Amino acid sequence: MTVSSVFSPPGFNFSNEVRNNFMTEKGLPLPKATSTGTTIVGCLFKDGIVLGADTRATEGPIIADKNCEKIHYITESIRCCGAGTAADTEFTTALISSNMELHGLSTGRKPRVVTAMTMLKQMLFRYQGHVGAALVLGGVDSTGPHLFTIHPHGSTDKLPYVTMGSGSLAAMAVFESGWQPNMEREDALKLVKAAISAGIFNDLGSGSNIDACIITEHHTEMLRNVEMPNERVQKERRYGFRRGTTAWKTENVRNLIVKEEMTFVGGDAMDTT
Amino acid sequence: MSIMEYNGGSVVAMVGKDCVAIASDLRLGNQALGISSNFQKIFPVTDRIYLGLPGLATDVTTLRERFRFRVNMYTIKEEREIEPETFAHLVSSTLYEHRFGPYFVEPVMAGLSKTPSGGVKPFIAATDLIGCLNFAKDFVVAGTASSKLFGVAEGLWEPDLEPEDLFETISQTLLNAVDRDAFSGWGCIVHVITKDKVVTRTLKGRMD
Amino acid sequence: MNSFAERFSTTSATSQLRKAQALAAEEDDISDAMWGSEAGFGSLAKGVPTFSIPAVADPTAFLRLHTDDHADPNCRIKIQHGTTTLAFRFQGGVIVAVDSRATAGSYVASGTVKKVIEINPYLLGTMAGGAADCQYWETYLGIHCRLHELRNRERISVSAASKYLSNLVYGYKGMGLSMGTMICGWDKTGPAVFYVDSDGTRLKGDLFSVGSGSTFAYGVLDQGYRWDLTDEEAQELGRRSIYAAGHRDAFSGNSCNLYHVKEDGWKFIGNYDIAKMHYDGPGDVPGAPGGGYGYDIRVEGLTSANPPPVTAAA
Repeated sequence: MTVSSVFSPPGFNFSNEVRNNFMTEKGLPLPKATSTGTTIVGCLFKDGIVLGADTRATEGPIIADKNCEKIHYITESIRCCGAGTAADTEFTTALISSNMELHGLSTGRKPRVVTAMTMLKQMLFRYQGHVGAALVLGGVDSTGPHLFTIHPHGSTDKLPYVTMGSGSLAAMAVFESGWQPNMEREDALKLVKAAISAGIFNDLGSGSNIDACIITEHHTEMLRNVEMPNERVQKERRYGFRRGTTAWKTENVRNLIVKEEMTFVGGDAMDTT
Repeated sequence: MSIMEYNGGSVVAMVGKDCVAIASDLRLGNQALGISSNFQKIFPVTDRIYLGLPGLATDVTTLRERFRFRVNMYTIKEEREIEPETFAHLVSSTLYEHRFGPYFVEPVMAGLSKTPSGGVKPFIAATDLIGCLNFAKDFVVAGTASSKLFGVAEGLWEPDLEPEDLFETISQTLLNAVDRDAFSGWGCIVHVITKDKVVTRTLKGRMD
Repeated sequence: MNSFAERFSTTSATSQLRKAQALAAEEDDISDAMWGSEAGFGSLAKGVPTFSIPAVADPTAFLRLHTDDHADPNCRIKIQHGTTTLAFRFQGGVIVAVDSRATAGSYVASGTVKKVIEINPYLLGTMAGGAADCQYWETYLGIHCRLHELRNRERISVSAASKYLSNLVYGYKGMGLSMGTMICGWDKTGPAVFYVDSDGTRLKGDLFSVGSGSTFAYGVLDQGYRWDLTDEEAQELGRRSIYAAGHRDAFSGNSCNLYHVKEDGWKFIGNYDIAKMHYDGPGDVPGAPGGGYGYDIRVEGLTSANPPPVTAAA
């Protein structure tokens, strides 16, 4: 075996590219990847940042995951909401999170939000929009609270309140009418919840529950499923089948418990005293 | 006709009470033509982890070997069996490595993870073709009959099913879903994984 | 302001409506019968069938854009396709056998489709291609067969009926009709089978199979076909052929409908579940060998790779 088959260089692997292009040319379209239709938001308040997200992941017209997590960990006081191709947001934020940790260790300081923003935008720009991640990055560092949006091609904005994803219009409408400078923590959270709700109920790409994250200088509070406005009610009937309903042809039982029996062959048992 | 429909096939996994089940059809087709009614899409990874790979058959076989290699390397390096959560991330990163030239499979994993108290915790997960993980608490589906499986499973699944009841639920879900899909069917196989045994059964399904 | 803009706009909803109204006014020579009884064939009241056509430059291309899933797999209207139908002539009459699956893309839309169209007690038509096209035009053919009877005091020959249909669909050539059908019956010349399709092809023959599963049906059919088949043997051959197609072809299956045409008209023989035929055979019917048709059922217990079944079920 050659070394190259064991060691793979870092980065993406393009070995299937030629084959896949051939198949696409033959008229077999590429299947859809999971995307997050998504409403993600973030807003500034008196002591920091509040981030919010819905929890729906879609695959075309199908809801692939009813309760996914879209607020990703970057560092203890920096978090990032992701919209777009689900795998891209997941892996991009994980990579930057890892690099931020290393950056913090090598500088010996708490890493800043702009650093994360720069890392993300440089990566996304390098991939020219092919890495389909649309992000809302928020956090608090030594220079204060910061809130950014990062688009898939690498452009960024720094604003006091932001929304992204297919539900961004509905959510922005709420922010435009309700956001004020120097809001209280509870008011800011209430506003973020209202913005996400607008996305959940008015945008078909968004749905299910609300996740929120409140970041202040000394504390980060992740509020997973802070509100669950679409919980399924108890089924009125049980739909279990009677045992023996399904006709089967063969059965094979693989026992995972290893039984050990000791058989003494001839003479007395060994003296183990 | 998408690449996923070239060979056909579907997989479903469900959580029960201290058990998990994973099931697939057995069809291998060449578009409309049925080729084999004994094409395995579910493979054991460890004693308590099973992996289902519906999608393009050539990639099913390739990835099966690739994961076998990676799991073996993990076992040798770590000197312990891989946990289901870890394996799910291994699958996810392997697929994401091929982000811009993907393998056409949608893996489904089912297994039991060990709890610190010595018990077991059911685990299921699925990813899309570029490795976006989906940890569900109820059931996961994939393959050409996925939209049909979603519908039936959403109706039939209920929490805390005993192994024998879970077998009936997953079997009926799969059988009825693949009967509404032209590219899945031709027999089914079900694995029910419990703490001390794995029961594998082949089902009597419609062969058309 | 809005109403002003709308009055002069060519694309607004109201102007579209106005256009449609103007168009309807021009066509007020359509008789009221179109909306009333006449069994939905009111549009044909004046003899020549007329259909309303979408108001676009090229209606045929427009239709193709929305229905052709080869050109665009995401097209909105998926026309039913994928079928196995067969008919053959033999000493004892005509056997007509079809499957019953309807698919829209990969979705099995129905498993209980009637693909044999009973035109009249002596004529059967089969359905492959567009379900609506076959149903409509073969029912329409039925009307004209009856008119022929009234005019000529004798039943129409299968040849004449099929030619009528063939000429009719040829008039719509290239406009998107899709049908591949076999017109089967018994007339003065004896049993007869004609293949007619929407290209305008019309063929006389002893044995035809049409649809995505036809190759599989032909395999069994050619192997077992003889002119001097008994009625029972012929019926079994029809069933067995449809089973083979239902088994191998993804777009065929569910069940088999079997008809037998004799001198005194057609008779429905039965409906046979393909899953049941695979495992247990068609049941207690004349001509069946007993036992399932399935390969793995027939060879069960005969090889080490295929051991006898476990009898105890859970």
